[in-house]
Amino acid sequence: MTEAYVIGAGQTPFGAFADESYRSLFQRAYESALESTDGTIDSDDVDEAVIGTLGVGGRQLGLSGPAVTEHVGLDGVPCTRVENACAAGGYAVRQAVQAVRSGMADLVVAGGFEVMTDMSGDLTKYWLGVSGETEWERLTGTTFAGVYAQMASAYMDRYDVDTEPFSRVAVKNHANGAKNPNAHLGFTCSLEDAEGGAPVADPLNLYHCCPTSDGAAVALVASEAFLEDYDGDRIRVAGVGASSDPVGLADRDTYTAIPASERAAEAAYEMADVGPAEIDFAEVHDCFAIAEVLAYEDLGLCERGEAPTLLENGTTDLDGDLPVNPSGGLKSKGHPIGATGTGQVAEVFKQLTGNAGERQLDDPRRGLTHNVGGSGGAAVVHVFEREVAE
Amino acid sequence: MTDRSIAGVGAYAPADRISAEEFTEALGTFGGTGIRQKAVPGVDEDSLTMAAEAATIALETTAVDAGDVDGLLLATTTPPMDEEDPTPRLASMLGLDRSVETELQTGSTLAGVDALTSALERTDDTATLVVASDAPRGAPDSAIEHAAGAGAVALVLAADGSAPVVDRATASEPYPGTRFRPHGSGETTSLDATAYERSSFSETLGDAADGVDVDGIDAAAVQAPNGKLPYRAAGALGVETDDIQRCATVHDLGDVGAASALLSFAAAVDDGAERVLIAGYGSGASATALVVENDGVETTLETDADGDDLSYARYLRRRGELTSGEPDGGGAYVSVPTWKRSIPQRHRLEAGVCPDCGVLSFPPDGACDGCGGLVEYEPIRLPGTGTVEAVTTIQQGGAPPEFVEQQARDGAFQSAVVAFDGPGGETVSVPAQVIGSVEVGDHVEATIRRIYEQEDVIRYGFKVRPR
Repeated sequence: MTEAYVIGAGQTPFGAFADESYRSLFQRAYESALESTDGTIDSDDVDEAVIGTLGVGGRQLGLSGPAVTEHVGLDGVPCTRVENACAAGGYAVRQAVQAVRSGMADLVVAGGFEVMTDMSGDLTKYWLGVSGETEWERLTGTTFAGVYAQMASAYMDRYDVDTEPFSRVAVKNHANGAKNPNAHLGFTCSLEDAEGGAPVADPLNLYHCCPTSDGAAVALVASEAFLEDYDGDRIRVAGVGASSDPVGLADRDTYTAIPASERAAEAAYEMADVGPAEIDFAEVHDCFAIAEVLAYEDLGLCERGEAPTLLENGTTDLDGDLPVNPSGGLKSKGHPIGATGTGQVAEVFKQLTGNAGERQLDDPRRGLTHNVGGSGGAAVVHVFEREVAE
Repeated sequence: MTDRSIAGVGAYAPADRISAEEFTEALGTFGGTGIRQKAVPGVDEDSLTMAAEAATIALETTAVDAGDVDGLLLATTTPPMDEEDPTPRLASMLGLDRSVETELQTGSTLAGVDALTSALERTDDTATLVVASDAPRGAPDSAIEHAAGAGAVALVLAADGSAPVVDRATASEPYPGTRFRPHGSGETTSLDATAYERSSFSETLGDAADGVDVDGIDAAAVQAPNGKLPYRAAGALGVETDDIQRCATVHDLGDVGAASALLSFAAAVDDGAERVLIAGYGSGASATALVVENDGVETTLETDADGDDLSYARYLRRRGELTSGEPDGGGAYVSVPTWKRSIPQRHRLEAGVCPDCGVLSFPPDGACDGCGGLVEYEPIRLPGTGTVEAVTTIQQGGAPPEFVEQQARDGAFQSAVVAFDGPGGETVSVPAQVIGSVEVGDHVEATIRRIYEQEDVIRYGFKVRPR
């Protein structure tokens, strides 16, 4: 079976763009991905496209995948839309890797897009809850912030911690995002700021919640055969893991972990034949600060209950031993739902090819992406590796 | 007459109150004469949820099995919808048999006493449930609104009850315009012709009381549109004002409409009264007088003011005078047929036991939580008690659209995951909205409330409150 490689990746800035459409955003991300290959790849090389989007605000249309790929001139290229809520983008990458590894395609566009900021306040309220468990969970009046806040309440009760670890996530990710020109909220904040944010869903406040964003991101996934005639940068997709779980929190075995993440990580590590200790940095799904705390533990970056210590001692800072979310994460970089997973891959590609600018890490070899749908109904983990001469 | 007698009484009133002073301070006047404070329904309470509360209390008090109830009579001037029978939902909430005969009495404040007299004729029932529940409303500047309270009472009737109705009489006389609600209006009003209204009230009540023997009455449960009118009728009724005052609920609960006379009756027997006059009145006008001899009927009254004291501004907000309803939009829509399929769970917490592994599942559909098998669950009604496993407070502005109006009226609320108690110490985790405030580890109990309203259809289901 052939290996799969990411040979290019790019994204739009994430933010609020009243003058952009979902097609124009996708076009910018696609062009950015092509540019990352130094112009050596064009649309004629593409065999397949997989596009992640939830399609909020009236864009939950049939064929929204081909709508964007045909727009950028991927004429006739088979395209499938993937919807796994906030993990749509990560699953699009996984589908692209599967297409390459199966031998059916040599170059696949894995993309994602979302437009979330052009709706009325009323429509926004309707759409933001669509990826939860609707009949029971949502109809207790809760939202995504609420469900993650419930997890936070259980975590705080179990480990006897306060909200400070959550606030440290915000401080760290904003510090990183401030170095990322593509970040939606590229400002820094203090621990005091983050502890004093306006309450959203207790115990989570505004600093513990990511924004909703417009944006698109694209990764180009290629086969070994394709690379025979290609000299540009590439990173190997060393491991892929994915898992599902009940969509509603109450139906899960635990509220202080996301079991789908745990299973996805185990599978990805096994495929990559590495352990968490061999990961140099990670882009994790921090839609809410508690999600990053749980991710450290679910991904095996520390023992259960130890995530607050990692945050307190700076291990996951940009200059720490194990930087997490050097891009700023969902918290600062932004969260355009369908584009988030491919956006994580774009960051890892930049870091592993030395193109991450002011936030460039020191010669990393392995990076991990972790993308979660809903409050844990779906999760996908990738391990990427820069191949070095033995 | 009848062999039926009252076996037990349950009563419920919302916990929150607003005082007469709050009205006076805000408006310079208070039209609820003789009322010190009144009960204000929760944002998710109405005549149906209060009826479910009172009926549940009455069934528990009498230890009557829901399956033994053959007749259910609900009385209210404020049914949740102008057209659509609420009694099937009440029967479902209480877990009554599908063959139970139900009846809705409405259209006048006499409906409560009418329901009782109708129930007395149901001689073949093992048990009959009479529930009177009301939460009248008027225009914000009207005496009717100032007096309008909320409360519910439920009476269990059986052949072996300890409080028989020993005498009864009815009288009527056409008196248009004293208290009415025009088509399409949610507000009860009157012509405010004071002397005319007083004569309607006293004349019809007096005529009804003339038909019964009021000798030896030690409590008089008289219809109370406000805190003064019943006392004015004491002479016509042939009772002492002290007899009225002994069991008057209007001073602390306000005008509870169709529940008024029966709620006062509940207070009378709870206080040990032995011979009680029930004097019901409805505009139009008609009145019924009943004499009840009480030989220690079982009572449970959950009518205490143990909630919040509301300001007038908060009262108006709670009543929906300052809010604009559900936002427009779409997405994550739960259709009414979908909701209907879940009613056994929403109304009665009906879980399922896996026939293969015995594990409890809620809702009882899909693969078993224990063995993963696609099984036919054995239904089991959970007792409704449980422990909070996780909880959040959804702050203002953060609610899903179905709950925007609720939050606008009543502020932040909690949503929790509750481990509900099942058989043999087993639990099953279910999300639930919280009434009040809880923390992880707190014990809670389920009760029926309005969950939300969409497309003009009210969805009722369980919420939890601290236990």
